[in-house]
Amino acid sequence: MKRKKVSLLATLLVVSAIFTGCSFSGGDSKGASSGTTGDTGNTAQTASKELRLSVESEIKDLNQWAASDDVSFTVLNNIGEGLYRLDPKNEPQPAMAESSELSEDKLTYTFKLRADAKWSDGSPVTAADFKFAWLREMDPKTGTNGYSFIMTDYIVGAAEYAEGGSADKVGIEAKDDKTLVVHLKQPTPYFLRLTSLAPYFPMKEEFVKSQGESYALSPQNMLFNGPYTLTSVDAASGAVLEKNAGYWDAANVKVDKVDLKVIKEKSTALNAYKAGQLDRVLLQSSDVNASKSDPGFGTGINFRTTYLQFNLKADGVSNINIRKALEYSFDSKLLADQVLNNGSKAATGLIPDQMSATGGKSFREMQGDLITPDAAKAKSYWEQGVKELGKAPKITMLVADTSETKDVATFMQSEFKKNLGIDVAIDTKTAKARGQLMDNSQYQMAITAWGADYDDAMTYLDLWANHTPYRGNYENPKYDKLITDAKKETDEARRIDMLLAAEKILTAEDVVVVPIYFGGYSYLLSDKVEGLDYHPYGNPVDFKYASIK
Amino acid sequence: MKRYIGIRIVYLLLTLFIITTATFFLMKALPGTPFDEEKLQQLPQEQRQMIYASYGLDKPVGVQYVNYLKNIVKGDLGTSFFYTGQPVKDIIMSRIGPSALIGLQAVLLGLAIGMILGIIAAYRHNSGWDYATMIIAVLGVSVPNFVLAALLQYFVGLKWGLLPVAFWESYPSSILPSIALCVGVIALIARFVRTEMLEVLEQDYVTTAKAKGLGFARIMFQHVIRNSLISVITILGPIVVNLLTGSLVIENIFGIPGIGSLFVDSIKMNDYSTIMGITIFYSAFYVFVMLIVDLLYGLVDPRIRLASGKE
Repeated sequence: MKRKKVSLLATLLVVSAIFTGCSFSGGDSKGASSGTTGDTGNTAQTASKELRLSVESEIKDLNQWAASDDVSFTVLNNIGEGLYRLDPKNEPQPAMAESSELSEDKLTYTFKLRADAKWSDGSPVTAADFKFAWLREMDPKTGTNGYSFIMTDYIVGAAEYAEGGSADKVGIEAKDDKTLVVHLKQPTPYFLRLTSLAPYFPMKEEFVKSQGESYALSPQNMLFNGPYTLTSVDAASGAVLEKNAGYWDAANVKVDKVDLKVIKEKSTALNAYKAGQLDRVLLQSSDVNASKSDPGFGTGINFRTTYLQFNLKADGVSNINIRKALEYSFDSKLLADQVLNNGSKAATGLIPDQMSATGGKSFREMQGDLITPDAAKAKSYWEQGVKELGKAPKITMLVADTSETKDVATFMQSEFKKNLGIDVAIDTKTAKARGQLMDNSQYQMAITAWGADYDDAMTYLDLWANHTPYRGNYENPKYDKLITDAKKETDEARRIDMLLAAEKILTAEDVVVVPIYFGGYSYLLSDKVEGLDYHPYGNPVDFKYASIK
Repeated sequence: MKRYIGIRIVYLLLTLFIITTATFFLMKALPGTPFDEEKLQQLPQEQRQMIYASYGLDKPVGVQYVNYLKNIVKGDLGTSFFYTGQPVKDIIMSRIGPSALIGLQAVLLGLAIGMILGIIAAYRHNSGWDYATMIIAVLGVSVPNFVLAALLQYFVGLKWGLLPVAFWESYPSSILPSIALCVGVIALIARFVRTEMLEVLEQDYVTTAKAKGLGFARIMFQHVIRNSLISVITILGPIVVNLLTGSLVIENIFGIPGIGSLFVDSIKMNDYSTIMGITIFYSAFYVFVMLIVDLLYGLVDPRIRLASGKE
């Protein structure tokens, strides 16, 4: 009896030992190496130029029709390429396309593809590859990243196709292997910028079909046409990219290998940077002051505005004076400089700092400051509002449970108390729950943020023309007309004027949203690295322009 | 014995079924969908519906549940929503390795050191050894493992450069996280062993053994330690399950692609299939370990016999 038990237990122990022993290199199956063996990255390898970077969350998805997060775009942008690619100054430059022509009426683009544009299997990139990939993005059954609007809003017949219409009526023509013609619904001055985004990347139909369900699950199931190819990827630990020798501009790609690691803790990343295992690290606000004197210190801006969204159908905040009182009552400069302290800037409008307008000027330069905090003004608006309502409204602010948003909410709560003498309650929910409450119109005001999809004010202003509860149930014919007219306008200066007017209505006249801050970041960068410029929107970074001393 | 294990396995399956069902419906009660709803906001309602439908999320919860169960019986855990298209089984398998290795090392190390400390403390009761051990135990229980992890990372990894700061690249990567995790185990085990041993040392059979003139080693190993182990085994079950299934905090601090962070993320992202997959995996593992613990009782404690009369 006893002996039997012992042998049973011994077997179990052995089994479990084998199980754990094997799983140490678990990620290695299907080539998705978790980097367990040999390759210790940081040692030696002085001969090849290697860039070692970290990302803050998992590499979710490398299927261009499903990916929607910055980390996936970071990888996709460097292993793939669209018709155009952003240069370090965020201007679109010909990439897969050699040149493009725009018709007189600004509605038809003709792209000539490069003769030496190749896939990593050696086959040429053709116009048909673009057509196939774009149609796939528009089809809700395959394009599940929520980005299809970025095509259906602009391309003739695309919206109808997305709702089950015919593919033949979509305004994308593959004239020959190297000529792609795109028909637009309305003049779109930023269309070339759009073509640099991952959802606009080409893909070879034959290859996708041959991979079936396993397409894009591992490097073996992928095809590359960008400056880099993917050697290994593991969602939770990172990816390794290697220079694509067949890339048309390979001569100008100076970094041979990019080792991208997933590190969720900023303090861990900082330690790894200090230990020489990373070339660049993002700082958390508590580390910023200590790092400011470091020669590698820098800050950058994202096209991401955090703002307060009012629900115009909710009690209290349906009153314009109450909304104005809240708008004027907090000083977001204090918030950005002292609470966030991470490179973020106080918002002076909804459209982020540095977003392009026209004539080389930024939208913010043209509009000027729409919001200046003023406690006295706030107080008088509040009293006016209370008079109109008959009593002081009770106000609750809905926020998501991320640490940054909670800090922002607490700061605003104290400002409301100080300048208006009111107690605003904070309702903290998970991001998903917050989203659902907003969808159901069950909120008074909520802190939320929007990251630009492309470099034009329309990426923001268009949102409030859809009248949904999420956007505060806002409906103003004057505003809607400005947006629809701006979409049709062929004169760029007039179009920008309309958008400037729309922003003013949204934030200053109707006070539907109160911009709080423009998102930014602080980082440390190794002095060996040059030209590693991050873009403020869309595809976050191009390793193509980086070099190592 | 066989009959006993058979009955236990039936219970095991029943428990799993109940846990699966409860988790499924609780999970469906979470607000939101597995998608980036802010982005989907921009699509017309019909297109959003089509996206939900392509994942079968448009059907009533009851129907979704039955479909899920059917697949489970076939051994199919489905594909992840978050990591689009990746089979949940593959994701769990690739993530459990690092967590299990760190957890197993922490358990073995913690068990060994904890027992030694506990035995010394009990044997040298009320001596300096005893007090020193108990101070270690109290510290071990009260210092949170993430504080220890951060200190280890800073000093051992960064300042002294002895071991990797983070990442999961080679065997040495697993050492610091294992140490960070095992301190709590040491403390817990040491205290249990000490208390239990003090009690056993007072027992009549120990006095008898001494009176019979048995050697020191024989008394200690055959009578005292063996009988003190019963309580250790009781707490060992949950400790093993906890540690082998990953620790979110330790995994994040050391940048380890483990299952602890996967589970928390999947809940945050409403990744239904992954939540279910890990729940089933966790509970199956837990129930299995509990079974082993019960079997171990019989091994160390002659007073506990499991229907073994016939043998």
